Amino acid sequence: MKIIEKIKTNKSIDNQTEIQKICLDKLQSSPLPNPKSEQWRLSNNSKFSDFLDYSVNEIDPKFDIPFPNSSQSTIRLVIGDNCQINLIEKNYSIKQISEHTLVKYIKEQISCFDQNENWSDLLNLALNCTKNTLGLKISGSEIPPIEIFSHASSNSLNAKTLVIFLEKNCDIDLLQVNLGKDNSSLSQSTFFCLEENSSVNHGVVSYGENKSNLLNSLNVIQQKNSEYNLGSLHFKFNYARFEIRIKQSEGNAKTNIKGMQKTKKDEQISTYTKIDFHGPNGFLDQINKSLADDKSHAIFEGSIIVPKIAQKTDASQLSRNLLLSNLAQIDTKPQLEIIADDVKCKHGATISQLNEEELFYMRTRGITLTEASKLQLSSYFQEIISFIPVSKDRWDLLDKLLNEN
Amino acid sequence: MVNENSVKDVVKEPYKYGFVTDIETEKIAKGLNEDVIRLISQKKDEPKYLLDFRLKAFKKWQKMKEPDWAGLGYEQIDYQDIIYYSAPKQKEKISSLDEVDPKLLETFDKLGIPLTEQKKLTNVAVDAVFDSVSIATTFREELAEHGVIFCSISEAVKNHSDLIEKYLGTVVPASDNYFAALNSAVFSDGSFVYIPKGVTCPMDLSSYFRINSGDSGQFERTLIIAEESSSVSYLEGCTAPMFDTNTLHAAVVELIALDDASIKYSTVQNWYAGDEEGIGGIFNFVTKRGKCLGKRSKISWSQVETGSAITWKYPSCLLLGEESVGEFYSVALTNNRQQADTGTKMIHIGPKTKSTIVSKGISAGNSINSYRGLVRMGTKAKGSRNYSQCDSMLIGDQASANTFPYIKSQQPNSEIEHEASTCRISEDQLFYLQSRGIEFEEAVSMMVSGFCRDVFNQLPMEFAAEADKLLALKLEGSVG
Repeated sequence: MKIIEKIKTNKSIDNQTEIQKICLDKLQSSPLPNPKSEQWRLSNNSKFSDFLDYSVNEIDPKFDIPFPNSSQSTIRLVIGDNCQINLIEKNYSIKQISEHTLVKYIKEQISCFDQNENWSDLLNLALNCTKNTLGLKISGSEIPPIEIFSHASSNSLNAKTLVIFLEKNCDIDLLQVNLGKDNSSLSQSTFFCLEENSSVNHGVVSYGENKSNLLNSLNVIQQKNSEYNLGSLHFKFNYARFEIRIKQSEGNAKTNIKGMQKTKKDEQISTYTKIDFHGPNGFLDQINKSLADDKSHAIFEGSIIVPKIAQKTDASQLSRNLLLSNLAQIDTKPQLEIIADDVKCKHGATISQLNEEELFYMRTRGITLTEASKLQLSSYFQEIISFIPVSKDRWDLLDKLLNEN
Repeated sequence: MVNENSVKDVVKEPYKYGFVTDIETEKIAKGLNEDVIRLISQKKDEPKYLLDFRLKAFKKWQKMKEPDWAGLGYEQIDYQDIIYYSAPKQKEKISSLDEVDPKLLETFDKLGIPLTEQKKLTNVAVDAVFDSVSIATTFREELAEHGVIFCSISEAVKNHSDLIEKYLGTVVPASDNYFAALNSAVFSDGSFVYIPKGVTCPMDLSSYFRINSGDSGQFERTLIIAEESSSVSYLEGCTAPMFDTNTLHAAVVELIALDDASIKYSTVQNWYAGDEEGIGGIFNFVTKRGKCLGKRSKISWSQVETGSAITWKYPSCLLLGEESVGEFYSVALTNNRQQADTGTKMIHIGPKTKSTIVSKGISAGNSINSYRGLVRMGTKAKGSRNYSQCDSMLIGDQASANTFPYIKSQQPNSEIEHEASTCRISEDQLFYLQSRGIEFEEAVSMMVSGFCRDVFNQLPMEFAAEADKLLALKLEGSVG
């Protein structure tokens, strides 16, 4: 209840948007997610309270993008930073969605929400004001890469929402960067709608600082013949949850996901994915990697749902995990729920440590244990990093991961 | 192209064991309260510690809530509408099988259970449980020569009270779960096996459970203790008549293996599954758990689940001893409106422990077949290893196959591997077999049998034949 009171007292009732009112109403009946539900049972309660503990903040301090934009062709947007865009070029256009369309779309989404499963979205939309919502409608071809930033400010709880409509036959490379500040909480909800024949290479890179927290939720609806490729990386958060919900609304769509979370110290980072096939000939190839060190806890829960209508679905899900310390722990739960009979579905999960034979081989060649471990880890990371689109070299992700303190 | 209807027809097979034995039975009134528990305990002439165990469990059960996490759709069970004790009337003491009611012998004969002398040649010792009580146990003298104790749990309470007091409820505590608590409060009979140090049980031991009354639940309890360096293979089978009401079967099985001991526990479960519309059938809510207490001990569960309206069963292994081994091999076939939520738990506590899980699920009709398993590596399970494989086969587009593996590791120096796949009967393979002159029905049966081969190979000889026959029977029928 505390969080609802906090939102309510934060602003006068008059200023509340229609969406906020709907979400607050929904949250009244479930002020906190059910800790016994599958989606939340492994969540660390005290860390989750830390997330909610900060005061709600709508105003962003000045934000310096960590890396200068060396390439003129990249479009950079910061959510909440009075972000306005209206680009109409010869081959493409990127337009801001009108408030009316945005509200209508979000209301439609909310009507399908499950109180528990979409709790993070409800919180995000209850917290968020129009200023921190970015809605884009993208069409055309030869679109330059796009980078979108969300950030939290110290000692506060910030909420950012991103809605993207990708029109027919359009394809883009999009990198979304979520940056956590020292002692902060960021709630990020993203809604993606891919129309027919569209394709997106979506990268999500989230990294924090000391004691930063993140609730990151991603909702994707794919129409037929669309292709959605997601590469994600989450690290350096005291507490982070990445929820991915993808719905292939008419089937005949392709989804590729390569994600990774890396935990150290006493961090807890979790990834929840739900892939819903609502039509035939759907395709999914998913790999999720976790790496847990020190006293940290990494969690992966992935479900693949194949109803009767989704014949000829081809789905595979793999969870690969490395446990590097005696005090760390890893939970993984890949699940299949299948009714259609003419499908190919499989999943796999492994938990182990670094390969001793490979380490031994490298050491016999004069490479130190530390170096050999780094080499092994870099190949482990590289598979994911290479899948993240847009200027990944500039972000030095591999270096950040290997030399993180 | 496979004709879907023809595959469906193949999996239709009427239940063969649905007859009711017309025998005079002694039943107590329906309902459950402390007095009923005292009455059961009194009828069995039990010592005080056991009555206290029951009453304590009952108190715990009253405070517990029926679990709903498996999402099994069934109507609320009225626990006051169940008879908790039902036994066929017979002479007080039976000194030989000749004194057993011929009707009972005939019943087990019809079920193919070798109780009578001429059938003893099969070299399997049988404990036959009819409703709430054990009717007869064969080969007792021969087993006694080796020091093996094989009797009903009621007899064990009288003759081996020290062992019962020491081990009962140590693997599955009374408060473990809702149905285990209910069983601990009202259990009526079951089997008890004790294999002394260094003894390899000279024959397979077997229990056969038969529910005869439609309104009584069956709550049996099995306890198997394998002392140091001993080994035993135990088989369990079950059937029930066809009633249009649901009957509750809530059993508890506890296995204890000490240093270098090995227990192999095999089940062929063929309770009545209800009719095509899902009316009637047994609710099979069972708690089975083994404790590998000793070093290098081994517990192996193999099961063939073909019956029951709803199965809720997770035979588990607690791997405490160093280098102990847990195994789980399962075939679950569901048809019509059956629901099976089955799997295992492998809890690795000791170092260098190993576990293997092989689960095969076949879903046909409108059934739901789920694998739900937990593999957990504790902080001390250094050098431990697990391998799991779960395959599902779907027949028809109304059946559902789910896989829910929970994997948790807190030990970096351990390895867990899990893989699962879902497939249907391959049209290419069917076509190939048919083009070689093999009938469609036989081809389907061969493919299902091949799909389950990994598990059947683990079953004891007697059971492997029965299981193969059972699946073939379920798959036998008219080809449309």
